[in-house]
Amino acid sequence: MRDETSIIGKSLPLIDGYEKVTGRLKYAGDIPPLQRMHYAKVLRSPYAHAKVVHIDTSAAEALPGVSAVITHKDEITGKKKTCNSPWHDFSFNFRGPMISQEVCYVGDEVAVVSAIDEDVAKEAIKLIEVEYEELPAIFDMEESIKPGAPQVHPWGPNALDPSVFEWGDIEEGFKEADHIIENRITMGNQQHAPLDRNSCMAHWEGDKVSIWTSTQALFWIRDAVTEFFELSPNKVRVHSTPTGGSFGLWWGNNFMFLAVALARKAKRPVRLILTRDEVMTTVKRREKPLIDAKIGIKKDGTMVSQSYRHLMDNGAYGNKFDPYQSVADIYTTKHGRAEFIGVATNLLPAGCMRGVGDLTLAYAMEQTIDMAAEKIGMDPVEFRLKNHWQTGDICHTSQEVLFAKLLFNKTPEVELTSSGLAECISKGAEKIGWKDKWKGWGKPSSVDGHKIRGVGMGISTHISGLAFFGFNGITLKVNPDGTMVLTTGIGRMGQGGDTTQAMVAAEVMGVELEDINVVDGDTEVVGHTMVTFGSNGMHMVSRATKAAAEHAKEQLLEFAAKELEANPEDLDIKNRRIYVKGTEDVGIELKELMSKPIYEYLAAPEVIGSASKGVEFHKAGKMMMADFAEIEIDTRTAQMKVIKFVAYHDSGTVVNPAVCENQVAGGYYQSMGLCTTENLVFDDETGAILNPNFMDYKVVGPMDMPDPEIYFGEVYDEDGPFGAKGIGEGVTCAVPIAISSAVYNALGVRIDPPMTPEKILDALKSKGR
Amino acid sequence: MINLKINGKEHNLDVEADVPLVWVLRDYLGLNAVKFGCGIAVCGACTVHVDNKPVRSCVVPVGSLKDKQITTLEGVESDIAAKIKKAWLDLQVPQCGYCQPGQIMSVINLLETNPNPDDADIDDAMSGNLCRCGTYLKIREAIHVAAESIK
Ligand code: FES
Ligand code: FES
Repeated sequence: MRDETSIIGKSLPLIDGYEKVTGRLKYAGDIPPLQRMHYAKVLRSPYAHAKVVHIDTSAAEALPGVSAVITHKDEITGKKKTCNSPWHDFSFNFRGPMISQEVCYVGDEVAVVSAIDEDVAKEAIKLIEVEYEELPAIFDMEESIKPGAPQVHPWGPNALDPSVFEWGDIEEGFKEADHIIENRITMGNQQHAPLDRNSCMAHWEGDKVSIWTSTQALFWIRDAVTEFFELSPNKVRVHSTPTGGSFGLWWGNNFMFLAVALARKAKRPVRLILTRDEVMTTVKRREKPLIDAKIGIKKDGTMVSQSYRHLMDNGAYGNKFDPYQSVADIYTTKHGRAEFIGVATNLLPAGCMRGVGDLTLAYAMEQTIDMAAEKIGMDPVEFRLKNHWQTGDICHTSQEVLFAKLLFNKTPEVELTSSGLAECISKGAEKIGWKDKWKGWGKPSSVDGHKIRGVGMGISTHISGLAFFGFNGITLKVNPDGTMVLTTGIGRMGQGGDTTQAMVAAEVMGVELEDINVVDGDTEVVGHTMVTFGSNGMHMVSRATKAAAEHAKEQLLEFAAKELEANPEDLDIKNRRIYVKGTEDVGIELKELMSKPIYEYLAAPEVIGSASKGVEFHKAGKMMMADFAEIEIDTRTAQMKVIKFVAYHDSGTVVNPAVCENQVAGGYYQSMGLCTTENLVFDDETGAILNPNFMDYKVVGPMDMPDPEIYFGEVYDEDGPFGAKGIGEGVTCAVPIAISSAVYNALGVRIDPPMTPEKILDALKSKGR
Repeated sequence: MINLKINGKEHNLDVEADVPLVWVLRDYLGLNAVKFGCGIAVCGACTVHVDNKPVRSCVVPVGSLKDKQITTLEGVESDIAAKIKKAWLDLQVPQCGYCQPGQIMSVINLLETNPNPDDADIDDAMSGNLCRCGTYLKIREAIHVAAESIK
């Protein structure tokens, strides 16, 4: 069970905190320009769907200062492959050409230019003459899947083959039910909107390319470039810098291809930094859902069946055929069915954003469950306590099941390692004061003149990584003074992964956090970590970090055993000192051991631990969230404000409480944005995004919401390193349902995000207020 | 040629008068603690001090800065600034860190002008600094801790 730890569980300061508070941390845009470097600008499509029938770049090429111009016709590999060749990204975030001849959304790449500075590059872009043939465009998911609808892009149908998960007998399940509740939900279009901008610098030396870009996915980028440009991994070196917030935006894209191709053609380093507008209109957004949910319950509130049909607007090039996480497993039912259909539209491509899949489906599921509980007059807290997912339950809709089917044609079972939902739900309810504030379905907790208050709650789960993310390779090297260097590909996007991985290593090695330097961000130096996504850092990558540290420790203890004339098994390390268990005063300082020559070798020891660890998929560790909200609506202004918000989450052992609190708070503010003011607005006529800036796309500011109250139900996860599970993404997932349910209880009307004053006003009117 | 006084030094720079200050600081002088976020004075990532007052350097043309003292995070040396940074580290305020130089520049000005801010003062001073990672909770705590340590 729970380990005795001296580092794990402490709010130790971030190892890059000093760089961050002095402004010295270098994001990709801060890296000094390489010698002879040029700057890139992209010509983008003004049409949602069109064919480039003619393109003349001669005037642009003739402009002094221009070093290269690339269009869809350019060959990129010397083997007849053009920029127009489709690219299949195995993560399903993006599939499409680097530059298309058939442009499929407003903002799609038409040409790219490198020049001595950005002004000249912009000038050159204006000199490119393009003749387009407009094609019919489609912006609506349901329209897109109708028979005879125009093709969104030149390959494949508009709707991908559905991914379907079934268990029990769904027909039978609905027959067994006393009540069947059906519901449909949708949401707006959220964008990641980091403050930093995507940027990439590429430089060819002979047949080898080096790339500098902000990402937490350095190997993913290496592999994408390797595949698209038909290179050996030996010829692609990716240097990743920290990201100025990622939330899913800094991988799964292909804008870096533009810099790579330009640098080759221009025969000089090239840097492409997207503008704020481009970050918001050409990279990606959260997939917009349209979900039909159907739930069957018994009179006593037992859930017997659940079925979901989840359409996802993938935009022009998104390629999701499932929500890419495990979903629909918040509740255990005998019978179930979940169907996911990715649909193309001529809009900005969609892809992963923090909490992807779980956020959308949990919202649909939870709202429908609220309706079910209301039908039998049951308190939502009670309903959830009765039905929620438990330790050892089966993950019916796990991606692992899907991949086992795709790769091996097998249908295995995946078991849930631990569930803290019972504690999170019951204790969270206490913290918000549920007993006093819950007055029944659709009933306000209080009314004070024009101010109506309501409470709501909701739960969700989220993966802590997935087995097929792959193996993680880690090394830990011990220096002559007992300090250490950890190499990892975990990446730095604000999640504190470098700090928490170093804490894992320090815990095993019996040293202090400050003793460990972390090196990351270079594919030729660090071991493989495909990407930090799906909250896999603590549950998956840490296994390799822990194993590498254990490997180094084993070597240390062997050297020490000789020195102390003891058995290695009788030794341990703490406080930077190796000692004999039981007789602690016999021992040797790590520093002394590592710097003292050994007689046989006439040299001091050299210790390097390494490990490469994958994760077997038959067990899955999921984080669990229960969120509670109390909101107030002003009937005069139709404004909604949050009065109190309680987040009670189970991420297993909390490795660094301050890091984890930051994650929960961040997820809350971001999801509150989705609930209130964040929505990309697409022009009905043209499909262009009308609000690609922070004035019109409003992210949550410091005065918009009260801070959340954060609690952790630390259920030790037997499968996780030191009992830990993931945290980064799931923190967003239960916020929308908690808010929407509180709004329902205040007003008696269900409103989907974004819950704008217009929608609230309509709701007030419909109730005659 | 434009003459600018930045972090206590004079610089003669060959730039057009209408170039926003943020680009001169970053591209000409390599003062990368000044970040570019929105370019329209909404996010606060580019906050610097001009004559000790916080301004959004993305919307200030360099031509308007004759004889003014410009300070970036690289150039602040006060005791107050050191205490703020310490509180920031102790409470683990940063996540990705991108907005933090701008946040800290706003806090320096707040605590220099009002060593005892209440919550409303803090909201007032910080409302123009966005943090997409959502460090607001920790920022509020850290401002109180810093203010306490300055007393
Ligand atoms: S970049 Fe200046 S306020 Fe956003
Ligand atoms: S810490 Fe990431 S934007 Fe503030």
